[in-house]
Amino acid sequence: MSHPEAHFMHEVANTPRGRGVLACIQCGRCTSSCPVSRVVEEHNPRKLMEMIILGLRSDVISEHLPWYCLSCFTCLDRCPQGGDVGEVTFAIRNLAVTEGKIPEGVLTQAMSLFENGRVVTTGKMALIQREKFGLGKEPAVNVEAVQKILRKTHFDKLVSKVK
Amino acid sequence: MPMKYAFFAGCLVPAREPQYENSVQKIAPEFDIELVKMEGANCCAPFSIQSLDYTSWLALAARNLCIAENMGLKIVTLCNDCYESLLMTNTILKENKETRDKVNEILADVNLEFKGKTDVKIFTDVLYEDVGLEKVKNAIKRPLNGLRVAVQPGCHLTKPKRLHFGQQMGALALDELVEATGATSIPYERKEACCGGPLRGINDEVALSVAKQKLDSMKAAGVDSIVTVCPFCYLELDMGQIEIRRHLKEEYDLPVVSFAELLRIAMGMNLEDWEMRTHRIPITKILDIMEAR
Repeated sequence: MSHPEAHFMHEVANTPRGRGVLACIQCGRCTSSCPVSRVVEEHNPRKLMEMIILGLRSDVISEHLPWYCLSCFTCLDRCPQGGDVGEVTFAIRNLAVTEGKIPEGVLTQAMSLFENGRVVTTGKMALIQREKFGLGKEPAVNVEAVQKILRKTHFDKLVSKVK
Repeated sequence: MPMKYAFFAGCLVPAREPQYENSVQKIAPEFDIELVKMEGANCCAPFSIQSLDYTSWLALAARNLCIAENMGLKIVTLCNDCYESLLMTNTILKENKETRDKVNEILADVNLEFKGKTDVKIFTDVLYEDVGLEKVKNAIKRPLNGLRVAVQPGCHLTKPKRLHFGQQMGALALDELVEATGATSIPYERKEACCGGPLRGINDEVALSVAKQKLDSMKAAGVDSIVTVCPFCYLELDMGQIEIRRHLKEEYDLPVVSFAELLRIAMGMNLEDWEMRTHRIPITKILDIMEAR
């Protein structure tokens, strides 16, 4: 267990989508409704909130702990407090990313977004199918506009921070 | 006069489920729906991108919203994730001036401004709310009576509730649409649960375990097919069955079909044999089931 950082809860609360952590009463309805918690013991939304409240920053802002969530938002609907752990997850991921902690699969999508303006590109097989359907190529993206936006938000630097 | 919509195809449907897009394009004119191309639209910025940076998400999603605003049209999406990203961004930017100003400052660089003048719908909403159930029922020429369907609404069709309050009927609407084709929507445990798809490519093992839970409960309910809206659900449940067979030694053999394809079959429109075999579990099975009854 890492050394507690008392301000961590407020750091999360002041990160976009992180506000809900202040409302958590540790009832555990999030965990009991979470489809991932049913199959992965390590993923426990209630405990994740507890760790944030206790200030266990380096345990939370890690390579794997924030990345089990499916963002299915079941917990948002179940939480009696508006604690929004599924939203708070985005806040802690955003914080983890500023420290270069991004899973490879997410990084691949981010790179594709920057290069192609889309997270998934159309492969050969789908192109052949599209042609047979008369759908034409995949819809064209204005990549220049996408890159302009992503440079302005420093997204390009965030992604390049990864070791 | 056709009903016009700004058509947001997204990334995943054109790239991984073109048969869904094809069926949407084929049935739209039958309901007087005109899908107008959105010039240069970009990725919706799904949860993976939202995980990286809040402002980048909002700005990218807002760019798409601006394109639709400039067309003077509402957006229609095919994917639950595109739907969530665009709908949530539209809601945040309409409600929060500070965030809106910040995003507009970024958008100024690409000569756009978010004004809050569009709305976001998903294709099944358009059928349910704008076309109406009666018209859908009247278009059925080959009722799928006896087909036992597990409806997989997917998460962001209805969740979080606060985003959808008073806006649409979500899963319930989808059940009614499915039943309009003559098929029966069979209740099953954990129907509203996630398919696991969002973790595909990030944590495949977890994604597959979550999918297995769903497939197990569908199988236990005795369905013979699965109907999806979202391409994540489609991929996870169709391709997922092949992977589960290989890694977890469980067999389901349930054809997975998008609602657009199901409707197209029920409307008596001809689907090519090769088209039905683009699915990992060929949906020719659905026709076989119908013939056997």
